Amino acid sequence: MSPIIDARGKACPTPVIMAKKAISAGESTFTVLVDNTTAVENLKRLAENQGFDAAAAEAEGVFSVTFTRTGCAACEEAVNSPLPAPGGDWAVFVGRDIIGDGDRELGTNLMRMFFYTLSQGEDKPGAVLFMNAGVKLPTLDEQVVEHLKALSAAGVEILVCGTCLNFYGLTDRLRVGTVSNMYDIVTRMQKAGKVISL
Amino acid sequence: MDYGVITFTSTYGAIYAQKVLRGVADVLTMPVLREISLGCGIAVRFQPEDLDAVRAALAASTLKPGEYAFYGVTGSGGALRAERLP
Repeated sequence: MSPIIDARGKACPTPVIMAKKAISAGESTFTVLVDNTTAVENLKRLAENQGFDAAAAEAEGVFSVTFTRTGCAACEEAVNSPLPAPGGDWAVFVGRDIIGDGDRELGTNLMRMFFYTLSQGEDKPGAVLFMNAGVKLPTLDEQVVEHLKALSAAGVEILVCGTCLNFYGLTDRLRVGTVSNMYDIVTRMQKAGKVISL
Repeated sequence: MDYGVITFTSTYGAIYAQKVLRGVADVLTMPVLREISLGCGIAVRFQPEDLDAVRAALAASTLKPGEYAFYGVTGSGGALRAERLP
């Protein structure tokens, strides 16, 4: 019988960490129990990145995500090799909602101008990663949201820290991008040839 | 023109103008185009159909006429053309 990992009540990214430990231990089939949809999505992405199928089911508020190794060696090799992020060999890390340390209003304008320019240019990053106060941009800033939608439509991956959204009470207000976790964000950084930090 | 751009002689003017235009027209903050030499770094982009409303709002503000300029922009990339509007 395949192991069952009870991650109910565990905060992000603990369910992902527990699943990763099972993968590292060589488990080819196991089930993780969680109690929220964000954890389900994070686990699905982990499965995809690690060469597993993930089947999710829900019963009485408990979500079960069953991992099954696909056995695709070529896929695993591709996942583990340091390939550039999709769409480009660089990523942008946004850890704040303004550019620079000075005036907030000026910093807000600079941030909007940055994303305007990024969305208009041809050399787009593979990923844009939002953490801490940076998550206010894909939630609350109308102009930046529109630029991010254009970038996303062009194939740029938009990853937004779920812990940070929760901290600022913005989880339900995400307008563009995918709720993500430290594992996905660090993986994107590692795959990128360069990371530009704002 | 495809869209309009307002440039400003000062950053303060650009930021102030955004407040003036809030509720008047849908505007975007953008860097001043390379094709336009005048201005500080911040410009405001607006839709052509909003030109009259934007012009009227700025005329009624504390900005002086010499502190901002209107441009009409057509095309993009290498084919981009920006012409000063009267």
